[in-house]
Amino acid sequence: MVENRPLLSFLTHLVLIVGVVIVVFPVYLAFVASTHGNGDFLSGLVPLLPGPNLIENYRLMLTEGISTAGAPPLWIMLGNSLVIAIIIAVGKIAISLLSAYAIVFFKFPFRLLAFWIIFITLMLPVEVRIIPTFKVVADLGLLNSYVGLTLPLIASATATFLFRQFFLTIPDELMEAARVDGAGPLKFFRDILLPLSRTNIAALFVILFIYGWVQYLWPLLVTTDSRYYTVVMGIKRLAATADGEPQWHLVMAAVMLAMLPPVLVVIFMQRLFVKGLVETEK
Amino acid sequence: MATINLVDLKKNYGPVPAVKGINLSVKDGELIVLVGPSGCGKSTLLRMVAGLESVTSGRIEIAGRDVVKAEPAERDIAMVFQNYALYPHMTVRQNLEYGLKNRGTPREEIDRRVKEAADILEIGPMLDRKPRQLSGGQRQRVAMGRAIVREPAAFLFDEPLSNLDAKLRVQMRVEIRKLQRRLKTTSLYVTHDQLEAMTLADRLVVMNGGLVEQLGTPTEVYDRPATLFVAGFIGSPPMNLLSLESIAGASGFDGLNLPAGTDVVGIRPDQLTLEQPTGPSLALAATVELLEPIGGESHLHVRLNTSNQAVILSVPGRPDIAEGAAVTIHARPADLHPFNRESGRRTDTAVANP
Repeated sequence: MVENRPLLSFLTHLVLIVGVVIVVFPVYLAFVASTHGNGDFLSGLVPLLPGPNLIENYRLMLTEGISTAGAPPLWIMLGNSLVIAIIIAVGKIAISLLSAYAIVFFKFPFRLLAFWIIFITLMLPVEVRIIPTFKVVADLGLLNSYVGLTLPLIASATATFLFRQFFLTIPDELMEAARVDGAGPLKFFRDILLPLSRTNIAALFVILFIYGWVQYLWPLLVTTDSRYYTVVMGIKRLAATADGEPQWHLVMAAVMLAMLPPVLVVIFMQRLFVKGLVETEK
Repeated sequence: MATINLVDLKKNYGPVPAVKGINLSVKDGELIVLVGPSGCGKSTLLRMVAGLESVTSGRIEIAGRDVVKAEPAERDIAMVFQNYALYPHMTVRQNLEYGLKNRGTPREEIDRRVKEAADILEIGPMLDRKPRQLSGGQRQRVAMGRAIVREPAAFLFDEPLSNLDAKLRVQMRVEIRKLQRRLKTTSLYVTHDQLEAMTLADRLVVMNGGLVEQLGTPTEVYDRPATLFVAGFIGSPPMNLLSLESIAGASGFDGLNLPAGTDVVGIRPDQLTLEQPTGPSLALAATVELLEPIGGESHLHVRLNTSNQAVILSVPGRPDIAEGAAVTIHARPADLHPFNRESGRRTDTAVANP
């Protein structure tokens, strides 16, 4: 589609710019809201330019939180979310790498059955099995703990499936050459398979980090102790005040802060991420 | 430096036999080529020696040690694969070093061997490149380098040249031969290309249907093919196989004195002539169908008038023969290979191989 037609490129740019504006405007509005003082947003006229309270609002949210809404300081919730998202992403990748390795490279009885059982769990998202999962986690005494927050979300059919597809494209000769070269199964995994999956791992990490970051329902269920609140559920608590209007300027400050880490992860891993999605050469 | 002995080696895939009992002893420093059509079991046989395929029954001895139960790494062999199987994320140097590192070879020893192999194969300037930055021929060299640095008891080649273009293939074939002569490492080499087999082999194993059809030096196999299959497989264009009826009435037939049981007679295209040779000869009347000039010689496709059977001659130069012309082709009795169709074997004696 490399064409040199001025009108066409003008039109394509126009469409893209309109699209970006539509997506970015609400985010901008959230940012503007987070810089104004209490009540500015409820005056009937929505301001479109940043206000003077930027530092004040963010400082307040990060260090103190809104105790009336039952929300701890934001840095605690951001920290929790970060820990949880990383544990989920790393855990999912580690487990699915190993299970895909087993399914693709080893011949054991019921191998195909094992694969299909893993695959079928794709059809059961967290929400469907949430009551029995909650029961199990509660019985194990894992409520209000990082283990309880992350463990049920770690088993991943999607990642296993993706790694399986990738491993299937690796020629058998590579494994045979490694065997002749004296590499056992673990050495082959570490020296050959892992480096080759590097870009896939990076791409999956980005996707899974965001998946872990935006978890809402599960943290809401298993945490009652504010020390384990995550930022996404925290925002909900901030917005849902019993009497009176929510303090939108503070809620929006929390929203902006909650958006930041996923954006950073995407920006910094973008190169690897894109490579992982398009690279085919082995 | 080692001998390889295969004793009654068999391999079944479920109920399907792939290798049906092979006996072979490779002498120290010898290069043996396994050749045959696809599906004849030659690759399976090689992979069994390498330890990449399990053995159904029989024994494999490398340097006198039974290795049937041993892992590939414990067999002291190195293998060169058809698609090279270089590790794509490692540089050439790391590719060469990998097998040595896994064996705990000391650093200085690794460096010495890598340098030596790089010198032999002239891949020194490429040591720090990745395989994807190399051409097919260079990758092939690296794959061989990976085998050389190991200084193994035996090299196993699995159709190493079939991914190269025709010109490079001839060049690498010569290099493999020189290299093997120089290193004097016992080698097993699998190919389906009979020209490659003829030029490389110290001894040739022609396989078909999981069995050895003939074992011998390339000239032995070419000059005295033991079976009809070998006769048709080795040589290009292939040997003409004429049924006895189609030559029975020809002049000179009575003086042939064919062994008992002969019902097929083979004759190489280059041993058929258009001119009458000195001495007794078999003369067959035929009609020219096509003349293919291929440079220094020409392939003449004719049909015998008696049985309408197609016959190919290779004749020197470019004879001036029109298609449809009637010719008489001559063969000397000594150049005829008598076979029995039923058993598939030669009917004259003195073929010691199974």
